[in-house]
Order: sequence, then structure tokens, then C-alpha cells
Amino acid sequence: MKKVTALLSVMVLLLLAACGGNQGASGSSGSGDEKVIEVWHIETGEREKLFQEVAKQFEEDHDGVKVKLLQTPNDAYKQKLAVSMSGGNPPDVFQSWGGGWLKHFVDQGNVQDITENVDQDHYLEMALNNGTFDDKVYGVPLGLSLDVIFYNKEIFEKYNLEEPKTYDEFTEIIKTLKENDVTPLALTNKTKWPGAYYLMNFASRIGGPDLFESAFNREGRGFDDPAYVEAGEYIQELVKMDAFNEGFNGIPYDEGRGRQLMYSGQAAMMDMTISFLNNVREEAPQFEDKLGFFVFPTIAGGEGNDTQVGGATGPVWSVAKESKDPDLAAEFIQALTSKEAAQKFTDRTGTLAAVKDVVPEDEFVKQFYDVAQNASHIQMPYDQTLPPELAELHKDTTQALFGLSMTPEEAANKMEAKAEELLE
Amino acid sequence: METVEVTRRSETAKVVRQAKKRNMRKVVTISLFTAPALIVYLVYVVYPILSTLSYSFYSWDGTSDKTFIGFENYVQLFHDAIFWTSLTNNAWVVITSVFVQIPLGMIMALMLFAPIRGIRLFSSVYFLPFLMSTVAIGLLWVYMFDPINGIINQLINFLGFENVAWLSDENTALIAILLVVVWQFSPFYMILFKAAMVGIGEELYESAEIDGANSWQKFFHITFPLLMPTIVSSSILAIVGSLKAFDIFYIMTGGGPNHATELMGTYMFKQAFINFNMGYASAIAFIMFLIALVVTILIQVIDFNRKKKGAF
Repeated sequence: MKKVTALLSVMVLLLLAACGGNQGASGSSGSGDEKVIEVWHIETGEREKLFQEVAKQFEEDHDGVKVKLLQTPNDAYKQKLAVSMSGGNPPDVFQSWGGGWLKHFVDQGNVQDITENVDQDHYLEMALNNGTFDDKVYGVPLGLSLDVIFYNKEIFEKYNLEEPKTYDEFTEIIKTLKENDVTPLALTNKTKWPGAYYLMNFASRIGGPDLFESAFNREGRGFDDPAYVEAGEYIQELVKMDAFNEGFNGIPYDEGRGRQLMYSGQAAMMDMTISFLNNVREEAPQFEDKLGFFVFPTIAGGEGNDTQVGGATGPVWSVAKESKDPDLAAEFIQALTSKEAAQKFTDRTGTLAAVKDVVPEDEFVKQFYDVAQNASHIQMPYDQTLPPELAELHKDTTQALFGLSMTPEEAANKMEAKAEELLE
Repeated sequence: METVEVTRRSETAKVVRQAKKRNMRKVVTISLFTAPALIVYLVYVVYPILSTLSYSFYSWDGTSDKTFIGFENYVQLFHDAIFWTSLTNNAWVVITSVFVQIPLGMIMALMLFAPIRGIRLFSSVYFLPFLMSTVAIGLLWVYMFDPINGIINQLINFLGFENVAWLSDENTALIAILLVVVWQFSPFYMILFKAAMVGIGEELYESAEIDGANSWQKFFHITFPLLMPTIVSSSILAIVGSLKAFDIFYIMTGGGPNHATELMGTYMFKQAFINFNMGYASAIAFIMFLIALVVTILIQVIDFNRKKKGAF
């Protein structure tokens, strides 16, 4: 009996050893002299095509180098990268959005410091900051998006409405639209981040753009600041006015049913990132003629103004610490964010580039560009800046505010309690 | 006289030893035959369960160093309102699985035996939902439940009722998903029951008929008792399956809105892969395992007692 157990345990050990000591699928272990750079990203369509072109060019310029691009859809990507990082088996180059999610991996020592490799003046400062921690650059941005309110010009003309400057004008528009059986605002809040834009915008308009920085860095103000409570109240006021489409908390953004409401004229406005333009061009090109946008209205007595806009960086490119050839990988992400690539990026995908002096040719995108140029402050989304757990709570509490199942005070206090626990 | 006694004793000892040896050899042979399965079981089932248990005593984000915190994860878990919501929701899934899905599966199976014209067509129609992939089912129903343009609300409007927000409303989201779960899994139990019903001898019904039993009596005194083993195994499958439920909920609501449809499975997933609290997620996973284990043992014990009383 003893022999059998001994035999069995040896076999189990062998199996475990075989499992534990796997070589890893990481790219750099390419055969022979060929060096392989493995790149993980989430983009599809024109963006992916652009990456492929850059990769091909890079291979031509560098003898014996092969670039392997691997696309994974957004949510799956986040898990996949997290698992590969903890398995010590990451790709050489990976995409992120900068902010808290990237910092999480930086804190674990899984991301390469590329301060020496890149020219910091090449990038827009506000965008580069999102991948810079403790004055060290860990990620470089290619794209920049803004958050604006899109509207249907045709509907606005029909009811003699004009782009609102203030919140009071905004609510007047909502009332008029309600009276005429048009859904004022389309909202797809199953995904939770679209609703979070309202909270961020209201908070910035009421408490000024420094509010979040101060709360995040624990410098006096907190997430239970009166401005956050008030922002929650404004959200619930809109919900009670029936300003949004029915059942918004169960409608996802990606599947497009929320955008359908805009295209079909059932809804008149939608707070969304400028990537919406790209969706329109792919899904309903004829709708572009009717499409207009304005920045979030100002609130009387608030500390913020309309040169402060919400925005996000992405893709942000980083090099993994485990990469066999970090310098070559860093060279590749510079190629990905070269001025030439950035120009193509903005012209072909309808978003802004995070690289300096890249002026979009497209008329519509040019308008976004002007907003970004005149911006005095760009607020990165909280859920990308905060550490993951707090980010989730921020989105959950905001969704609950929209669902009227939590009071603004409750939401603010929950956020502050978690922040005290997680932030130093 | 004494010597005889001694030799006899040593002989019996010899026999015993030989028997032991034979037994030993049997153990070796059996072990060798079961070794491959046993190894797979140890590596992929027992080892992960044990390592989950050990992770649950740590504060760990999946990559950096682990810190031992004893039972703190469990203490936190029992004070976590979201965990209790998810446990209650799991209980609801169990209840609907056992008390709606299984009876419905049985009724459908009974109907397939009824002398109705064209019933064979229904046997495939009933089974269709079970053949579809869960992701497809989830997305399909998400579209049907759409609060504005979904077919279900249009039907409701047509009948003169107000729109229901279904998945978007904290009060209706769970019911809406449970409806889909029932729709998807009842056919599975139907097939189990159908197979069991085929195995019931025709002569039992014939003799019951001779004794003058009506259809109800035949059902309650023949069919139902003979289906009992199937009901028990179905219940185990349903309960354990419901405790581990994840996919359809993840696809249809992701646990939302505001955790109204959160399950232990989805909550564990969120803690592990979104919040990077591997230790906490392991604690949830281990509690799930414990509950499933206890419930399974309970059912087995009840079933054992039932059998001891002479039932089938």
C-alpha cells in the first residue's frame, strides 16, 4: 500500500511540475535569430488595420523582427492581461487606457519604465500624464477622446431649440421635448460608464475641476464633498423628469440599441464620447448630416465652466517588464505613436490624436479638435483613474443613483468610506 | 494436544496472511487501473479546491506578495450586504429550479406520452431551447426584453398594459432572468423524465387498470413513485447547478442593476477579475463549494433513509 501511495505521489508531483514549469507563450522566445514582439490590443476595424500597417512597416525597417498582433474584445482582454501578468507570461507590448488600471500593474512591478526611451514633448501633456506615475513614463497615448452631448439637429430645428449653454436652458429643452413625445436623452447604463459621465460632469461644473484631484489625492476634499451630493441630486432630478429613455439601466452600449434611439429620432440627445461619430459613420452614415454636439452645460453658481471637458486616453501603449527585448518593444510603441501614425489615426477613425501638432483633416473631427485646444482642463474618467475596486464602486453607486435606489448622501458616503480604506 | 493447537493457530495465521497478501495485490491492481482518473481528479479537482481554501486566508491581488490575514476575508464576507443579496438570489434560483423547472419538465414529459396528434413534433420543439448556446439565448432574450422596442413589451402594450422595464428594473430583473432559466433548462429534465418513464413496465398500468384505477391514481401510485430516483438525481443536478449559476446572469445583466441579480458566481468573478481581490474571491468560492457539498450530502442522506424504508 505504501508503495502505491508513494508511486502516486511521485506521479502527481511530476504532473504538477510539468504544469508549473511551462515555458510561456510570450512572444520574445521566437525561434532562431528572429525576434518576435507580441502585441495585445482590443481595437477592430480601421484602428486594427492601422496597427497592422505600422507593424508591417516596422518589420521591413528591422531585419529579423516579427510583430505579432493579437486582438481580444474589451472585457475578455482585461481578464486575459491580468491573468497573463500574474502568470509571469505577458505580451511584450499591451494596450491600456492609462490611469488606475495601468497603475495597478505598475505597482506590481510588471510594467517597464520607458522614460528614457520616449520623447515626452512628442505627446500632449494632459494625455501623457495619464500614463505617467511618480514622474516615470509607463505608457504613451495614441488617441484622445472627449465627452460631449450629441444631438439631432433636425429635431432641434423642428421645435425651435438651440444648443444650451446653461443647465436651465438644458432643462427647458428637456421639457419641450417631453411635451412632444421625444425622449430627451438616450442613455445606455447597463455598462455603467455612460451614466458615470453625468456624475463627473455635474461634479466638475458644481465643484470645479480640482474637486476630483483633491479627493483622489486626499488633499482636503473628499468623495462626500457637498458638490458630489449635489451632483447626485441633479442626476436624480433628471431621472424624475423622465429625461432618459425607459429602462436605461439595463441597456448595454456596445450592442447599439441606445444608438438606435438616436438614429431613429426616438431620442434627441446623448452624452457620449466622440467615438460615437465613428459608430455613426459605420452604422448609419446618413445620420451624420443631422448630427451636432455641444459641451456639457454650465450650472449657475457652480465653480466650473465650459472649457473644462471630460476626456479619455486610449489606446495607451506600455511595455511589459518581462519582455525579452524591452528596448525594441519601446521602439515599436514609438512607431505606433509616431506623428505619421497619429495623423492616420485621427483621419481614419474620427477621433483625436494624443500627439502634438496633429490637426485632423476631417471637418467634424476638427470641431472636436477645437474643443480640445481650448480646453483648460480635461477630466479623465474616474473609473480609469481610481484603483479598480473604488472605480467599480463609483460606477455601481452612480448606477444606483440613476435607478433611484440610493440617495446622493448614501452614495457619496459609501465612496468616501471606500476611498479612506484604499487611498493614502 | 498442545502442539496440535499451536500448529492450527499458525495455520490460521498463515491463511490470514495469504488472504491479506491477495487483498494487497488487489488493491495494487485496482489502484493502477484507477490511477489515471485519480490523478486527473487530484490535480484538477482536489488540488484547486485546497489551494482555493489556502488563498482565502490571504489578502492577495493575484500577482504581488500574499499577506496572511487568517479568517478576515470570511469575517468581511459575513458583513458584506452584497454577498447576502447574492446568496438570497442563489436561493431563488435553487427554488425555481426545483419547484418550477423539474415539475414543468415532468409535465412536458407526460404530455409527450399522451395520445395527441403531432406530439412528436413537440418533442423536438420542447427540446430546442436546451440545444442553443447560453450566450445566444442570453442575447436573444436581452433583445426581447428591451424596455422600448422589445417584442415582449410590444406584446404587453398591445394587450393594453404599461411597459415593464424588465432587466433594467431592480424589482423585475431577477424574475425576468429566472423565466429564461426555466425556459432553457426544463427540456433537460423533460428528457430525463421521458427516459425514466419509458422504463416503467406497461404491465403495471395494465394490472392497475384491471383493478379499476383511474389516470390520477395511476400517476400517483405508479408513475410518480417510480420516478422518485430520477426526481432525486434531478434535484441534485438542479440545486448544484443553481448554486454554481453564472453564465446567463453574466450575459443578461452582469449582476446589475445595482446588484439586484448578483449571484455568488458573478460576485466572485467581479472580486477576482475586476477588483483584483483574489483572496476575497477565493473565500466566496470556498463558501459556494461548502454550501453545494452540504446540500448534496443532505439530499443523499434523505434519499438513503427513504430507500431504507423500502421505497425504490
